[in-house]
Amino acid sequence: MNSAQIEIQLIASLVAIACAIPGTFLVLRKMAMISDAISHSILPGLVIGFFITQDLNSPLLILLAALTGIITVVLVERIQKTGLVKEDTAIGLVFPALFSIGVILIAKNANDIHLDVDAVLLGELAFAPFDRLIIAGADIGPKSLWVIGTILAITIGLLIAFFKELKISTFDAGLAASLGFSPALIHYGLMTMASITTVGAFDAVGAILVVALMIAPAASAYLLTTDLKKMLGLAIAFGVFSAISGYWLAHWLDASIAGSITTMLGILFLIIYLFAPNKGLIAVMYREKQQRTEVSLLTFLLHLKNHSEERERHVNHLQEHINWQKVRAKTVLDLALKNNMILINNKIVSLTQKGDEFTSKAIDYIITNEDAQIEDMKDDFFLFRG
Amino acid sequence: MENKIVEKSSPLSSGNIAVQVDDLTVAYNYKPVLWDIDLEIPEGVLMAIVGPNGAGKSTLIKAILGILKPIAGSVSIYGKPYDEQRKLVAYVPQKGSVDWDFPTTALDVVMMGTYGSLGWIKRPGQKEKKAALEALEKVGMLPFKGRQISQLSGGQQQRIFLARALVQDASIYFMDEPFQGVDATTEVAIINILKDLRKAGKTVIVVHHDLQTVPEYFDWVTFLNVKKIATGPVKDIFNDDNLTKTYGINYKVSIQE
Ligand SMILES: Nc1ncnc2c1ncn2[C@@H]1O[C@H](COP(=O)(O)OP(=O)(O)OP(=O)(O)O)[C@@H](O)[C@H]1O
Ligand SMILES: [Mg+2]
Repeated sequence: MNSAQIEIQLIASLVAIACAIPGTFLVLRKMAMISDAISHSILPGLVIGFFITQDLNSPLLILLAALTGIITVVLVERIQKTGLVKEDTAIGLVFPALFSIGVILIAKNANDIHLDVDAVLLGELAFAPFDRLIIAGADIGPKSLWVIGTILAITIGLLIAFFKELKISTFDAGLAASLGFSPALIHYGLMTMASITTVGAFDAVGAILVVALMIAPAASAYLLTTDLKKMLGLAIAFGVFSAISGYWLAHWLDASIAGSITTMLGILFLIIYLFAPNKGLIAVMYREKQQRTEVSLLTFLLHLKNHSEERERHVNHLQEHINWQKVRAKTVLDLALKNNMILINNKIVSLTQKGDEFTSKAIDYIITNEDAQIEDMKDDFFLFRG
Repeated sequence: MENKIVEKSSPLSSGNIAVQVDDLTVAYNYKPVLWDIDLEIPEGVLMAIVGPNGAGKSTLIKAILGILKPIAGSVSIYGKPYDEQRKLVAYVPQKGSVDWDFPTTALDVVMMGTYGSLGWIKRPGQKEKKAALEALEKVGMLPFKGRQISQLSGGQQQRIFLARALVQDASIYFMDEPFQGVDATTEVAIINILKDLRKAGKTVIVVHHDLQTVPEYFDWVTFLNVKKIATGPVKDIFNDDNLTKTYGINYKVSIQE
């Protein structure tokens, strides 16, 4: 690896972390779309900022562009408050308007501005190492590394200072307000940080990758944990992993780095969406199937408990009378046998002591919905897991 | 008027006014849902707020707690604005006002009750955790402390929110329908905790829908339907006349005791 390669991966990783932090809260606040809106509507801010500063990395330009991000948020909320349209519609109205103002500004001043729309949307990470920051004649690294590094440091500082405030206002804005933590202040603080991160990162990675890095790692992490701190940690890990693996994917395919990172993010999300242990698609389907079987098992055990006649307890009765198909009848019988709940003698089924107790307890639970008494049954049976 | 009755016939009250509401009008999108409310809640009462759906009960509580900004009127808690008295007040919101899928556990939610006394930036530590565990114990939810909150039943969720209010160790408790969707056992458990709070000299204000149980559970009541209909001791004002004025239909509630 040469130093340019290392620098690119470093920049991409820092961007990933800086995005994952506000992204986690955006996802939890169900505001993923707003980051998309911000990423597009900062364009006019960038252009105007560029007129003034003539430097894409100037802090003033970043602040001006971030201001357009805040304006977007405020406009969206204003339109939504009229009650005439829903939030997504309001977003759809605001950002194309602001974005097209930016496009027109660029087109009108094409001669003065070395800024094109493609570059804003897609960025060019591969060129990032060539724009160096030189202080007193000494080369201290790529400019974007310093820009994003500064933003990341601020983000982490704010996160540590206001973690509890962010958490409570995201979870329960009413309580936050009644305890004196202004949810509005925190909301706009978060939006400001998301805007600044978007602006700071767009030059290196482009607006689209910024959105992907904010939303995909957080959404993936959300499927894996029920702990906010772990969710943040996982989102950061997924972001960095996608950044680095995406870089090498691009290297290998000779493709766009931003595109490859976005692809990695998509693949990662898909895998987690399918295989996450509790909330994943496959786990959910498996659980539902188990629950169906267990409900059948319980029905069957109950039937045995209620009938002493041999005719009612014959193995074939399951198929003939309870009207189950062969496979289902066999699955249920096997499950009951495996758990020592029944005995089969000459094709006549009877409940064991354990089966009898289990049935009573289970019915009791279903009726009273009292958790305490069946804590120990939970591991064997999905049915009783909330 | 009622206010006079309050002061004269209140054996429970120490004479202090815990919550005072003057000429309060609250609107959503300029449509008032609470009109010119005057209300005095004496210290140490266990008070029910009753009224039909949409009467503005939740809105009244939110306006008192500064969650909503009224378009007119004022609120004071022990004679001072709410902002200065935050630490004296705890709030249990109506169910469904939070995101149940939020990645947080029962214990964590209860800990949030301590955030108010911590203030900005300071983080909860061992002391806060201990208080939260005690509150969980009190509502019988200790075995569930590690559960993600969406994996709790409705009644269990309600208990968690009660614990969160208890941990605030306030003087005045506002609870928006704490009995919503809980079974009889939980209801008894909750009302006992509320009665304990009153015994400890706290003021408890509860939005309540089950009119049958008002005389049994509460000693004070406020009838609300956009306007305040009446407020005072249950034994004096909980009658068919006020119920009819509030609910608009002929009410016959036989008052026990
Ligand atoms: N966020 C809101 N925006 C607009 N109108 C609202 C909002 N919240 C409540 N309202 C309206 O204000 C009125 C009072 O609502 P509120 O929630 O205070 O009633 P409530 O007495 O608590 O009713 P419930 O018994 O159903 O909880 C209702 O007509 C309701 O439709
Ligand atoms: Mg309500």
